Amino acid sequence: MKLSSQALEVLKILREDGPQTVTDFEEKGLDQSMVNRAALDLEEQGLIDLEEDEEFEQVLTDKGLEVKEKGSPEYRLVQKASDGSVEISELDDIPKDIAIGKAREQGWIEIKKGEVHLTSKGDEIEKDLVKQRLNEQDFTESDEDRGLIEVETSTKRRLSPTEKGEGLDLEDVELDFNVEARTSTPRTGKKHYYKNILQYARQTWMEMGFEEMEGDYVVPSFLNFDALYTPQDHPARELHDTFFVENPETADLSEYGDKVEHVKETHEDGWETGSRGYGGKWSEEEAEKNVLRTHTTAISARTLHEIDINEEELPKKFFIVGRNFRNETVDRTHLAEFFQTDGIVVGKDLNFANLKGYISKFFEKMGYDKFRLIPSYYPYTEMSVEVQVWDEEDEEWLGMGGAGMFRPEVVKPMLGFEARVLAWGLGVPRIAFMAAGLSDIRELYRNDIEIINETPVWRPDWR
Amino acid sequence: MATLEIDKREFDELLGESLDEQKLIEEASFLGAHWHSIDGNVCEVETYPNRPDLLSVEGLARAYRGFFDIETGRKEYEVKDGDIEVEVDESVEDVRPHIGGAVVRGLDLSKKKINGLIQLQEKMHETMGRRRDKLAIGLHDLSTVDAPFTYKAVEPEKVSFTPLEYDRNMQLGEILDEHEKGQEYSWILEDEEKYPIIEDSEGKILSFPPIINNQLTEVDSGTQDVFIDVTGKDRATVLKALNILATALEERGGEIESVEIDGEKMPDLSPAEFTLDPDYFREVSGLDLERKEIVERLEMMKYSAKVGKSIQVEVPCYRNDVMHQYDLIEDIIIAHRYTNIDPELPNVDLIGSQRDIEDTAEVVRDIMTGAGALEALTYIHNSKEDLTENIEREEGNFVKVDNPLSEDYSALRDLITPSLLEVLKQNKHRAYPQEFFETGTVTELDESSTGASNRKKMAYIKSGANTDFTDAREKLQVLERDLGLEIDVETDERPFFQDSRAGKILVEGKEIGFIGQFSEQILENWELNHPTAGFELDLEKVHEHLKK
Repeated sequence: MKLSSQALEVLKILREDGPQTVTDFEEKGLDQSMVNRAALDLEEQGLIDLEEDEEFEQVLTDKGLEVKEKGSPEYRLVQKASDGSVEISELDDIPKDIAIGKAREQGWIEIKKGEVHLTSKGDEIEKDLVKQRLNEQDFTESDEDRGLIEVETSTKRRLSPTEKGEGLDLEDVELDFNVEARTSTPRTGKKHYYKNILQYARQTWMEMGFEEMEGDYVVPSFLNFDALYTPQDHPARELHDTFFVENPETADLSEYGDKVEHVKETHEDGWETGSRGYGGKWSEEEAEKNVLRTHTTAISARTLHEIDINEEELPKKFFIVGRNFRNETVDRTHLAEFFQTDGIVVGKDLNFANLKGYISKFFEKMGYDKFRLIPSYYPYTEMSVEVQVWDEEDEEWLGMGGAGMFRPEVVKPMLGFEARVLAWGLGVPRIAFMAAGLSDIRELYRNDIEIINETPVWRPDWR
Repeated sequence: MATLEIDKREFDELLGESLDEQKLIEEASFLGAHWHSIDGNVCEVETYPNRPDLLSVEGLARAYRGFFDIETGRKEYEVKDGDIEVEVDESVEDVRPHIGGAVVRGLDLSKKKINGLIQLQEKMHETMGRRRDKLAIGLHDLSTVDAPFTYKAVEPEKVSFTPLEYDRNMQLGEILDEHEKGQEYSWILEDEEKYPIIEDSEGKILSFPPIINNQLTEVDSGTQDVFIDVTGKDRATVLKALNILATALEERGGEIESVEIDGEKMPDLSPAEFTLDPDYFREVSGLDLERKEIVERLEMMKYSAKVGKSIQVEVPCYRNDVMHQYDLIEDIIIAHRYTNIDPELPNVDLIGSQRDIEDTAEVVRDIMTGAGALEALTYIHNSKEDLTENIEREEGNFVKVDNPLSEDYSALRDLITPSLLEVLKQNKHRAYPQEFFETGTVTELDESSTGASNRKKMAYIKSGANTDFTDAREKLQVLERDLGLEIDVETDERPFFQDSRAGKILVEGKEIGFIGQFSEQILENWELNHPTAGFELDLEKVHEHLKK
């Protein structure tokens, strides 16, 4: 006798474990279509019996679920009119055509001059019988007619070995090898698709000669805001935008030495930066408050402080791919925690055309050939630009983040001398979105086994 | 950021030319105000906080007259000498010390123009005014009151008037409690014993800043002469706002007249002076423009400029954002158009590199996926519960957020293991066994200057009908083999592991992590139905042992 290896495997399981449904096999990790093909093969040879049980089940439709939750439209109508009458225009929150139709049919209401009036019969209604039926799963034909329930049919295939199947000497089976048949795809270890894309971005910066910088999630307001020339009454510093830290609440700024004083003076009157400053008083206490960094640009500011070099050692190029935190209500398009990639180029003779050069190169390497810069505003850059790339698929410009040249008010106090700094903070979640076919940004961190398994590896120049 | 709705017909009229929609949508955003849509006559324009002078159709048209080369250069605004005086009483010193005022006469206001003015006022309140705290504006029909005016602070029950949108006399305290605007902005006057008011020579109230005006002085389509008051806590901001409003009304055909506030004539519409070094411009921009071309572009942005050895620039009185030559450079490039600059990579030889620990984490990712585990990516945010009760741990030492969105975001994790338990919980509908790992960052309290530092860790977890401690030990040994380390496990206790199935992981006698099989209680806490085991390592300690 000839059998495919898959059919033989299925038969062995049936002989060992007794009759099984296709679902049982799936739970053992076998592929459904493979089991089905094997079953037909085995049935043809008379080795198993195949039974197909059709099961009918009455299930609630979306409409039915609404009734189950909120009550039937006609009952809700009667309730609204419990004072005797209600204007039709006040019924907007219930499906009023159905409500009026059904209530009329039952003789509960009359309509006069755009108002619904309860009849004496309507006045006596105490229970929502439709809702009660749905709750108790005691459905009637009328529920089906109204589209509150529907019948779902499911087929269950059950495989049981015949006597011939049980008695077959497996030694006699000749393997019928089918190279064209698909097998099941094994489960393997696999990396997370978004992490891979972030990794690709890191790799890209390294190829472009950038050095990785590091920094913590908990930073003093000094780094996140003040060193970045963000005024102390800027709306971004309010509780509804930034997460402040209860423990540890404040930072010791002594490691920044004179720079704290220089930042203070820069805010107040421009210090030695050639600027006129914001005016007003700058408070060190405000700068000591710890926050969860709202942008990786805080780490760029820290790097300016840390590199501790002189003019001759320039230029330098740094990047970071890291998480940031913002006090945003979480929904399909917003997260309170997100990845951003920041970069800075510190040099003596850098210019705006170079900024355009670095950003266009990065996005070209990430798969976007067309890009543009639009004037924007950040307190710490001037020129401030929004970076947009052209999405071929959706034929639209997509915002990918911000960029600019750090203001002298940022550079001189933190670096210690004048230099030009090109800077950017960009996001790449859009790429992961497209790669995994997601429509909800929260899915990036939900780690559904199926999505991690099924998402192909991303490369910018692959289809 | 603020989004404005402006009327295309009004914009065209003020601009002096009708631009087609396509040109506006495609080109106008390159000034630094985003044109989102034009639907019939309604244009939606988003502006940035550095340009409050663009918060009105008048201000936008003024800027675009330059940007589209219709009328370039700085406009000189004339201020006629007026005779209205405002006395400032000492009592406002502690409440709301600064006031600015101006009169604009001869206006012809339609309903639409008035709505535009209200929009300008509201948007300035929201942005530059920090929700009226730093700055509040009142516009009054001058014919309804008699100068001179007095700005003073009074006890709340001493004064009453009929506020806008109400039809009865109310005391100041009542307005704060009952009026919609009073409720919205009462926080600004919290803890104050006296409230600021502006009254006329006969004791009629003009305004109760920053809350509401008297109905009496409401500006309507019959109003010809307007008195503008701006009050606030920062003098420079108050004066700048006054200039923005006065010049916007002038653009509407009004004549500006000065007001004497405590002896000082306002508004001061003279320009600020800056010197621009053309070489500095060329270096920063990368654009090789002649002096003449630089001046032309400055004029397109409504500056006036004179060429000398350097360029003398006069900044319009309504600009709030010019602090440094860099700001002028940006405007010159904007006028030149960002699209007309070619990207240029400097020829610099530098070697790229990553942090050492990241490379180690990469190696671990390779080993763990090769060993059959699926990589997870989870949040750094955690709930305090997941870091304590849910893993049967006492109050932990970790970073706590002061103003979390919800309990779920109230802490930063110091362990990855709870995140992986959550991943198992999210995947209960999928086939078993399941195994995950993550190389990720946690935050630990320490002696650093902020009191908390990031740390790289890795964790592994497996769950399934036949899973036990051995599964975790197997994977740990794969790491041991591939990293070339010698790892020992010593019996230990952990609150989340079964008593006899927990250990600490050691390298050369130093603890680098823990391993074990989770207790029944933990499985219950995380609603898991199968035996589950795992381990967590401090990757930075692993890294130290790997390095020569």
